[in-house]
Amino acid sequence: MSRSDVLVDADWVEAHLGDPGVVLVEVDEDTTAYDKGHIASAVKIDWRKDLQDPVRRDFVDKAGFEELLSARGISNDDLVVLYGGNNNWFAAYAYWYFRIYGHANVKLLDGGRKRWELDSRDLVTEIPDRPRTSYQATEQDTSIRAFRDEVVAAIGQRNLVDVRSPDEFSGKLLAPAHLPQEQAQRAGHIPTARNVPWSRAANDDGTFKSDDDLQALYGGAGLDFGKDTIAYCRIGERSAHTWFVLHELLGQANVKNYDGSWTEYGSLVGVPIELGAGR
Amino acid sequence: MSGDPQGCGAPAGGVAVTENSSGEAIIEGTVTGDGAPASVGYARLLNEGGEFVAEVPLGPDGGFRFFAAPGTWTVRVLAPRGARAEETVTADRGHTTTVALSVAAP
Repeated sequence: MSRSDVLVDADWVEAHLGDPGVVLVEVDEDTTAYDKGHIASAVKIDWRKDLQDPVRRDFVDKAGFEELLSARGISNDDLVVLYGGNNNWFAAYAYWYFRIYGHANVKLLDGGRKRWELDSRDLVTEIPDRPRTSYQATEQDTSIRAFRDEVVAAIGQRNLVDVRSPDEFSGKLLAPAHLPQEQAQRAGHIPTARNVPWSRAANDDGTFKSDDDLQALYGGAGLDFGKDTIAYCRIGERSAHTWFVLHELLGQANVKNYDGSWTEYGSLVGVPIELGAGR
Repeated sequence: MSGDPQGCGAPAGGVAVTENSSGEAIIEGTVTGDGAPASVGYARLLNEGGEFVAEVPLGPDGGFRFFAAPGTWTVRVLAPRGARAEETVTADRGHTTTVALSVAAP
């Protein structure tokens, strides 16, 4: 897999705005950004309202995903280009999510909304009118999604990559510092996990670092590329960014994202927790 | 590496510390460019080791807020055309640390 299979840059997007068969999708936790201005023709997906089950803590089910994409006017054979704020955290989560439900042709806009804004490129407020489709999803591909029992069993066996900031990893903070400090019952990290903050994989403008830099980053952190890997963070969005780097950019096989992440693990009864800085 | 393009490096407007009742260690502030609020840009928080901790888009008034922990932190602002600003601040539980930064106008 090469970068061009999974990433497009802002120039590419500007050149293909309005192309039939290309759908731009802005994905955010806070969708007021979209409402204030988005890339022309982009539709929005609200990470919380559209991608999370309103009752249980889980994805929307297959029928729910089909309804969402049908309502947004996305067809099975469309090229979906995802972008968002927060350095593409939620766009990367949506990318992983689209893959889980079997959408083949999906790419990320490198740098996301931030790079677009820092370039002073155009944003509009018009909401596109896309005719409804009849989207068909596949059953969930759980080869890229990890659940808690598998994570506990992976301690000391597989690569566990904790992509949160060093202060969350060590137990000093419970959440990223732009959010109130709440959520999990306990602070710390999963024993044997390596701390490779997601941010080290990105440049200041939100674009991904080069393959050589990325390979050196994870190799230098002690990741054994011959082993299977599980990435986690707090709620699975930053680790989707790292999943994208390891699985899609570096082409590592058997990489899973643990979307339960620290808000689940740090509230489990009886599981081991480590405190302090990483090794 | 001072981000103040005007050159003196001192926090524009100074740093004020006020009480907050939430118990959170809050760092907040505003960013201006040529005296007007910088509404397009991002504020990122770095820890003492220079490691990225969080980032938020600036509000319409150029504002930002972080929920940190007690300690020393750096706020770095990214604005269009490569404009940057940076200040080091301290945070304490139950206090709101306020910082004003200015960047070159986009």
